[in-house]
Amino acid sequence: MFTPRARVAGVIAALTVITAACGAAPGTQQPSASEGGVNARTATSAADFGGLDKLVEAAKKEGNLHVIALPPDWANYGEIIKTFEAKYGIKIESEDPDAASADEINAVKTRKGQDRAPDVLDLGQSFAISGATEGLFAPYKVQTFDKIPEGQKEPTGLWTNDYGGYISIGCDAKKITTCPTSFADLLKPEYKGKVALNGNPTKSGSAFAGVYAASIASGGSFDDIQPGIDFFKKLKDAGNFNPVETTPATIEKGETQISIDWDYNNAAYAPQMTAKGIDWKVNVPSDGKYFQMYAQAVNKDAPHPAAARLWQEFLYSPEGQNLYLKGFARPVLLPVMESDGTVDKAAAEALPEVEGTPTFPTTEQVDAAKAKLAGGWDAAISG
Amino acid sequence: MTRSRGWLGALPLLAFYAFVFGLPLAALLVGAFTSQGRPTLANMRQSLEGGNLTSIAGSVQVSAVVALLGAVLGTFLAYAVVTSRFAALRHSVLTASGVLANFGGVPLAFFWVATLGNSGVVSGLLGLPSGALYTFWGLVVVYLYFSVPLMVLVMAPALDGLRPQWREAAANNGATSWHYWRYVGLPVLTPALLGGVVLLFGGAFAAYATAAAMGAGTVVPLVTLKIANALTSDVLIGQENVALALSLNMIVIAGLVMAVYLPLQRRSTRWLR
Amino acid sequence: MAAVTGLEQPLVTASPRTARPRAWRAVVLLLAGLYFLVPLGASLWYTIYTPTMGVSFEAYGELLTAEGFASSLALSLGLGLATIALVLLLTLPAMLAVRLSAPRLRPVMEVLCTLPLVVPPITFVAGLGTSLRTGAEVLAPTPFWATLIAVQDPAFPIVLVLAYVVLVLPFVYRSLDAGLRTMDVRTLVEAARNLGASWPHVLLRVVVPNLRSALASASFLTLALVFGEFTVARLLGYQPFAVWIVTISGSRGQVSVAVSILSLLLIWLLLLAVSSAFGREKK
Repeated sequence: MFTPRARVAGVIAALTVITAACGAAPGTQQPSASEGGVNARTATSAADFGGLDKLVEAAKKEGNLHVIALPPDWANYGEIIKTFEAKYGIKIESEDPDAASADEINAVKTRKGQDRAPDVLDLGQSFAISGATEGLFAPYKVQTFDKIPEGQKEPTGLWTNDYGGYISIGCDAKKITTCPTSFADLLKPEYKGKVALNGNPTKSGSAFAGVYAASIASGGSFDDIQPGIDFFKKLKDAGNFNPVETTPATIEKGETQISIDWDYNNAAYAPQMTAKGIDWKVNVPSDGKYFQMYAQAVNKDAPHPAAARLWQEFLYSPEGQNLYLKGFARPVLLPVMESDGTVDKAAAEALPEVEGTPTFPTTEQVDAAKAKLAGGWDAAISG
Repeated sequence: MTRSRGWLGALPLLAFYAFVFGLPLAALLVGAFTSQGRPTLANMRQSLEGGNLTSIAGSVQVSAVVALLGAVLGTFLAYAVVTSRFAALRHSVLTASGVLANFGGVPLAFFWVATLGNSGVVSGLLGLPSGALYTFWGLVVVYLYFSVPLMVLVMAPALDGLRPQWREAAANNGATSWHYWRYVGLPVLTPALLGGVVLLFGGAFAAYATAAAMGAGTVVPLVTLKIANALTSDVLIGQENVALALSLNMIVIAGLVMAVYLPLQRRSTRWLR
Repeated sequence: MAAVTGLEQPLVTASPRTARPRAWRAVVLLLAGLYFLVPLGASLWYTIYTPTMGVSFEAYGELLTAEGFASSLALSLGLGLATIALVLLLTLPAMLAVRLSAPRLRPVMEVLCTLPLVVPPITFVAGLGTSLRTGAEVLAPTPFWATLIAVQDPAFPIVLVLAYVVLVLPFVYRSLDAGLRTMDVRTLVEAARNLGASWPHVLLRVVVPNLRSALASASFLTLALVFGEFTVARLLGYQPFAVWIVTISGSRGQVSVAVSILSLLLIWLLLLAVSSAFGREKK
């Protein structure tokens, strides 16, 4: 078909292109230790680096940090990222802020050994646990590790809870005369078509928590999420359920006037909305208190291991924890900081009011609840 | 031109196809029947019960309604346009149909949210209850936006193929309009009609972007949304293989529907020669 | 033989078809016009009017400077052009080869090129994602690992181009098939070869000019598909145009509707450009 010369040229060209993109995964080649003989990849604490300053040095040498799924207005991550960048001069690449926890785990798995892999992860609790079982994380104990309560960290440091919040009911006080303060309130006829969730409970962690909280409010328990599903069915039958997913845009437009979401999300909307002339109030429901935390983990094959560990140290330092507090989230070290006075008092006062201390469901209870929800939600809500 | 080397020209396409299409399909098949590394039917069973079955049924329902409604409405619109005296009308409607039939997905969802959503421009005027767009019928109305134009594009050439001489001949033989349609028009159009219905069904069944952008998935169970939720979610873990099983079910259903389409499509072109 | 009773339209041919249906046709066209045009108008109004600030075209100004607008648009455009190039490069020689010298492959081609229609994009990306994940593990010690990774580079994800080629294959095949059917490929090609033309010459100077309208519609369909494609890109984690629209909708509702209107205009312009650039086919 082609002249022999053309054919040969074509083959050579093809081979060049193919070999240019070739190369085995770095992970399967010999790992190189970083300078000074400290392998950042296997460091399990700042002490392994020879102190926090050496860790900072090593991180600065790496110069970059890859984070994923950190929306800037979620628990004040925007400011946290900026502060970290300014403080250490390390550039943070924040990719895919709308990613879900499953996407984060996928990114770790698919980009193993690649420079594009995420260094650190902020995951839903179940994902942290399953990721640890799958061996995706590196054990690392931050300097304040011992101050983190038991049950809110994995013993070897594979994951640690970072912040959390209560399920709350946000409400546009200008359009709604009396804002609801409990789940039972939501069934009232005056809220027809107004009660929204933050998405679909089988996809969105906060929506799932909303159903769980509704279950507790309706006589269920951590073992039984069915009353929660029934509650939303009742809500839908009463015509009060609004299927739109809450976002700042929908609040602004008045599409979602009542929103069930984490208290730190609802509380963060409030100052945003005041600028647009909307008075957004936040209430933690009196009958259904559900508290849940997210978890931090370091990617075992992080492309920037020292920077990843420095990020952890930053988040769990009083400065980092107070930044979470500023975002209306309850940092894991809050009780400790309150007792030793390092807490940002003004921010702590601004938190939505809640009484009592939270109890946590076990992993088995949560898994069972999720399975039940996945099986029963569609039939209940669309019937 | 040697015959034996002719297939070389097709080789790149075949190789590409085997690689880029065959591999994912193989992965789908294998994954659907695997759980934690071992072959099992559990995924398939799970994909056919509870919430998953509801979503399959929901998708089939929406698609069937859209297909039938869209076919009827599209045919009437095509007929109105084709029999018009104004060539400009015909040309503009066909062009518009060409554009709208390809305009699905995300922008379409936002159009309708702006129009009939909770704070939409028209919903206030019509006094619609809140959340009206995010119901079964709301979704149908949205899906018709790209389905009806598609039907117009399918039916216009078929309607063109109805020779006026047949109408005259029928009239000459004493047939009423009703007789004409019943014994001449519809039988000729049936292959195209059925083909159009099938095409519309397939399009609505496979639709993901519009439903996802509308957020309708909280209320209307759709299998595409279920698959996406099982693959990427903040709530469900370890459901990837069930998602693959669900995908397999989707492909089987789409395949059955398409198996009806192909012979019909071939038959319908017969009349247009 | 029916009697001539009660039949109003015996010999009158043209006018009865327009006489009785005239009112009916007007109603149909009116309703259709309402259904298709009202959402457009409503969306336009939605983008320019807010209760707090009255009428303003701010959304359109914001749009152009919105973060990610230019980059996602450029990405989609690049992906679209690459897809067109690749799909034509693969399909045209294959279809020519089948027509000219391997007619037995024809049914195989038909089936293969219609199969993607049976696989909804969401199922395709489910399988694709799984294969990428397994591939990353399995290929890790081989030199192909880097190729697999390079193909997923977010700056220009070739994996999306590959996926789009598969998705668009049935439409391109049908388009080109219709075009090839109307031109006498065999005679033209044989004549050109007899006159000493090389294969590239035959392709470029003989076949392509005769396929202009088929190529035009194939290109239009491809571009429209790539610009509107959301499913595969979203689930693989990239941000071309359609994905960006959804991302921006969370923070700026009006801008996202404004972008939607623009994308409709874009498809319209594409259709016009493509059909006029290729011109009418010469008989």
